[in-house]
Amino acid sequence: MLKTLKGILKTGDATVRYPFAPIEQAPDVRGKPEHDAPNCIACAACAVACPPNAIQMKVDVHAGTVTWTINYGRCIFCGRCEEVCPVDAIRLGSEFELAVMSKADLQDSCTYRLQRCSDCGEYFASRKEVEYVAAVLDRIGGNGASGDSIDRCLLCKQKNDALACKDRIRERRQA
Amino acid sequence: MIEQGIPTQLQAQLEPKKLSEDIERAKATLLKSIKRSVYVYRVDCGGCNACEIEIFSSITPVFDVERFGIKVVPTPRHADILVYTGAVTRAMRLPAMRAYEAAPDPKIIVSYGACGCTGGIFHDNYCVWGGTDKLFPVDVYIPGCPPTPAQTVYGFAMALGMLDQKQHAVNETEAEGERASLKFERIPYRLRVELEREARRLSGYRQGGDMCDAFLAALDNSETDAMKEVASLLAAQKDPRKVEVLTELKNLLESRIVGG
Repeated sequence: MLKTLKGILKTGDATVRYPFAPIEQAPDVRGKPEHDAPNCIACAACAVACPPNAIQMKVDVHAGTVTWTINYGRCIFCGRCEEVCPVDAIRLGSEFELAVMSKADLQDSCTYRLQRCSDCGEYFASRKEVEYVAAVLDRIGGNGASGDSIDRCLLCKQKNDALACKDRIRERRQA
Repeated sequence: MIEQGIPTQLQAQLEPKKLSEDIERAKATLLKSIKRSVYVYRVDCGGCNACEIEIFSSITPVFDVERFGIKVVPTPRHADILVYTGAVTRAMRLPAMRAYEAAPDPKIIVSYGACGCTGGIFHDNYCVWGGTDKLFPVDVYIPGCPPTPAQTVYGFAMALGMLDQKQHAVNETEAEGERASLKFERIPYRLRVELEREARRLSGYRQGGDMCDAFLAALDNSETDAMKEVASLLAAQKDPRKVEVLTELKNLLESRIVGG
């Protein structure tokens, strides 16, 4: 009996104090994906990469907005969004207390504005993405620097290139 | 965007069960002031068993949910809480309903895991219903793939009214004139990309990215001698694996220096 009690005292208490005290977690634990909304450029790389489609982008052409949504109830915490994000705007944090009483609370969203094409006036990308690409191109310098075609949509860019090519051929023939 | 293309008329739409008013009232009382132990019955509706493993690890001595009187029972007839795991396959719908009908009212229904909450990665599969709430009203959703024992303990503690809900829906909108910041503006963009690729190749996007950020921050903060800053960063590192990766990055940086 005494031996058993001694053994118990020596072994101590294996049970963690959680939920009455914070739980000890590993440094790179995969918890809730934290979205840094001001730094996000709404490029939809995370939505494309997300295996269970927990992250989705919905375009509203009437309002000129694109809405980024994440459903934590569908997230499998794989970290693909963090891996593909070009601006490090999403990162799996250590928050794990995600249980909810109503399903609507599992969904977070963020709305961004779209950019119109300077030629045809159609929405083609999020405003912040275009600005970010322009800034990056300016930093790199050289031929790709932001200039004539950064605010054009893909179709107008192709049309523009074709026209430029046509002009060049004509000039060469005349020369 | 992706789900718009699925024709809804091809998927059978279920009518979820409705609770009568007096059961609803009894349940509210049960949720608010339960004065005794709760018995849990676990229903696997086509899960991958990871959720079951986590449920069993939360009844081990380390997490010990029996502290709160939570006990796993082998029959729904004894249960107060029904825990549904898995995305509810077509074949498991009727057994799930039988377990639901067999449990005495008022009962608390818990959707456990990403599959139980919304169908998870199987949400658009042809042979699943995609979530427990398609069948009957759910009281607590515990997301996670699988939920860790701590998440499980938190979910049950919340169901029993011991803890408050932390997660609430946040709907933000872009502020006027908001710009995404370019990181490490003083470092040439191409060099930054090259260093980051090398770091990710060596130790993955998480640790590699973090190490590369530390390396670039050291370069970015240096006023006069960048290599000295890098050397002091290397000297401060204790982990030999990190030293290895940072040395590789330093070598890459040195190989890109032109002139002298």
